[in-house]
Amino acid sequence: MFSSNQFDAASAFSRGGFMPSQSSQFANSTPSQSRDTQGLLPVTVKQISEASRSGDEKPNFIIDGVHVNNVKLIGMLFNKNVRSSDVRFDLDDGTGRVECRRWVTESVDTREMDALDREGTYVRVIGHLQSFQGKTQLNVFSVRPVVNFDEVTCHFIECICCHLQNSKGQLEGGAMAQPQMTDSSLSTPVRGVASNGYQPALTNNASVQYTTDGFKGFDKLVLNYLQQPANIDREMGVHLNELSQQLKAPIEKIKDAIEFLEREGLVYSSIDDYHYKAVEGY
Amino acid sequence: MQDMDISSPAAFVNGGLLRMHVGRKVRTVLQVTRSDIGSVMGRSTDGCQLVAKGSPPVPLTSYVEVIGVAENENTIRAELWTNFGDTFDASNYDKLCQLANGELKHLFL
Repeated sequence: MFSSNQFDAASAFSRGGFMPSQSSQFANSTPSQSRDTQGLLPVTVKQISEASRSGDEKPNFIIDGVHVNNVKLIGMLFNKNVRSSDVRFDLDDGTGRVECRRWVTESVDTREMDALDREGTYVRVIGHLQSFQGKTQLNVFSVRPVVNFDEVTCHFIECICCHLQNSKGQLEGGAMAQPQMTDSSLSTPVRGVASNGYQPALTNNASVQYTTDGFKGFDKLVLNYLQQPANIDREMGVHLNELSQQLKAPIEKIKDAIEFLEREGLVYSSIDDYHYKAVEGY
Repeated sequence: MQDMDISSPAAFVNGGLLRMHVGRKVRTVLQVTRSDIGSVMGRSTDGCQLVAKGSPPVPLTSYVEVIGVAENENTIRAELWTNFGDTFDASNYDKLCQLANGELKHLFL
């Protein structure tokens, strides 16, 4: 039932983000744990702006298929506004701006905020996402100035890493909607399941390596062409017209295949919407 | 999500990627080679010579982050400058630029 070719990083950390170690539990996740709350997730403001929500009473943010509890961001602090019980500011991380609010109850909180008096200071913030009067805000409980700017690079790399971890887990969970792993279930098109994104009812009690067996044959042809080493090496990517000529298929058919492959995260557009490249590592 | 300001995001660029964003907002880190009144010349994280026009901070550290609009394939009209110190891992930042312009760009732009 469990594939021996399980994606290795899963054992390094079961989900992207920072959690008390549960690294051995990926293969044995019970339904209640499968898409559980993240401890602390490094994110960009862009990711927050695209987060979906679940739950009517308690607004709950979902990023890459996981419920998000606390988030970490790095960006520039603007428009600091000191009020009696809180300090508000905007955090701009280059991908967008988010309103932040820091409740100041202890003198240590006030001191921490007083030290940040220059517009555009790079800070690391940790806080809790919430919705207030229809607006997404960050309820911040830690604001620290960045001292070593490698931290900026590192943070965005972490965002990428966690996104990949969580998305991969989401894709595998999506592909394994049926508990029985028979050949016929693997041959059903993956398209309809994985492209739905987050599915709260999903159980994840079997982990099987994601396969491309569910693809239509033509999608696979397009993917194979893009995955050829010579094409991987082309910085500009491959133009849709070239794919059409080489595979002797009409442009519309190429576009459909590309659309599907792009949704599955297997190809991406490179210099413009007509050039595509295969994602490496699959 | 309504009411979130994701207008004018700045694309991570190095020397080679700058040309893909001419006319748009970009961000990059330069290792300063020369600084004059009104402009700074620096080496990008992939080894190209770029020019950042504007008013750099005084004093300037060895590495500076510049956020502004790309005027052409080797010039940025800088709006924001941040001293990034005298030590900085340029190769890590360069890798980030490549990833942020590749299949992961939807996390940024």
